[in-house]
Amino acid sequence: MRLKVWGARGSIPAPGPETMRYGGNTSCVEVTLSDNSTLILDAGTGIRHLGMAMKQDRSEAAVAHPVNILLTHLHMDHIQGFMFFPPMFEAGSEIVVWGPASPEASLRDRIARYISAPLAPVEVRELPSRLTFHETDAQEWQIGPARIRAQAVNHRGPTLGYRIEDNGTVLCYIPDHEPGLGAPLASIEDEWISGFDLAHGADLLIHDCQYTDSEYDHHLGWGHSPVSDALEFARRTGPARVLLFHHDPLHSDDFLDRLDTELAERWAQLGGPAGCVSLATERLELELTRDRVQRPAEAAPPPAPPLRSPA
Amino acid sequence: MSAQQRPLELILARNLLSNLSTPGLLVGDGGRLLFYNEAAGAIVGRSFEEVTGFSAEEWTSEFGPLDIDGHPIAYEQIQATKIVRAHMPFHGEFSIKAHGGRREIALTAIPIVAPDDSTAAVVLFWLTDGEPVPAHAAHLSDRLREVDGEAAP
Repeated sequence: MRLKVWGARGSIPAPGPETMRYGGNTSCVEVTLSDNSTLILDAGTGIRHLGMAMKQDRSEAAVAHPVNILLTHLHMDHIQGFMFFPPMFEAGSEIVVWGPASPEASLRDRIARYISAPLAPVEVRELPSRLTFHETDAQEWQIGPARIRAQAVNHRGPTLGYRIEDNGTVLCYIPDHEPGLGAPLASIEDEWISGFDLAHGADLLIHDCQYTDSEYDHHLGWGHSPVSDALEFARRTGPARVLLFHHDPLHSDDFLDRLDTELAERWAQLGGPAGCVSLATERLELELTRDRVQRPAEAAPPPAPPLRSPA
Repeated sequence: MSAQQRPLELILARNLLSNLSTPGLLVGDGGRLLFYNEAAGAIVGRSFEEVTGFSAEEWTSEFGPLDIDGHPIAYEQIQATKIVRAHMPFHGEFSIKAHGGRREIALTAIPIVAPDDSTAAVVLFWLTDGEPVPAHAAHLSDRLREVDGEAAP
């Protein structure tokens, strides 16, 4: 499994000279499965550049597969790029959108609220691509070689986290998550932690870390994690590597650099191996292999990280 | 991993209860006692850690509710169970066993219906101190007047 981060920002795009390195685009991660098909995690503004790259680079094998988009939820920072995703406007494209169910309206109708007047110049029904929508309550299903598992997680409104298993490697994606709301994570049993099963033992966990601990005091219940909960969730669930995600739009590159240093120190204090926790940056490319790094609960010296940049 | 992950609606319900000073408990689809908070533990005389995982038979035997003769009512026969399983809230009065004695409570049970149609319940309860219903109702009226800032008659 290979992945590329096309947007790691939360809440609202934050372009500008102060966010050049971590990036200003909102949530979008490209996952290339073992059969070379593409899975896209969320459709924040990062999906625009992904779509342009796909148009240029898609191999014949990739074109033969439909594009599957897994939406965690329908907040604007996770769907805003839809309208600017070039494959949506190609007659030959087949796009399958998966997302959370709601008792209020179908997934298609909820997305159509954005892709319709007065917010957009076109309607969903006018898009030339073959577009289908699937609502996914907590369940498992297969997309090509990947086993996908969706589960409701603690955020505001219906929100899913995903666990993707392909060829012996596991990616867990929970970009918007507040598992510590109302219960200190360090003291509750595994079974009562939101998202625990999704993340448990993953090769890579991509997880919310929008706030510093002091910022969180003013954002309790907003659906996002402070640093301490993000690290504790990682410690409890034991992924081999963690990418912290959904950076607050107010956090500049310099601020995030300092936060990255602090994260490494705090992770070490929790007993985690060095180099396993970092902040996601836009355009970061990783390849998941079957090799594992040491888990935080284990005591041996840390082996080489399981992820490497593709040649 | 110790046990199967609980669905989010139950996690949120438990987190809510654990932060309330009102006595409350969480009962799962099959009647298993999933959680009760410290305020409830103070009334029944046992902390939740002591009774973790109690089945419906075990907790009704331990705490009730009790019939007029003081015998535990079977879980399936409890009025609140029947109503909540029909996806409706329930309010009523019961006797329970607490600290080795018999206490009277009023309770409100709220169904939590999952996407797969399984039904758990959040149950909030209050000691009524053995007052007969009219006396308890009068007490509530007094309390309401206090809340409204009026002097009780």
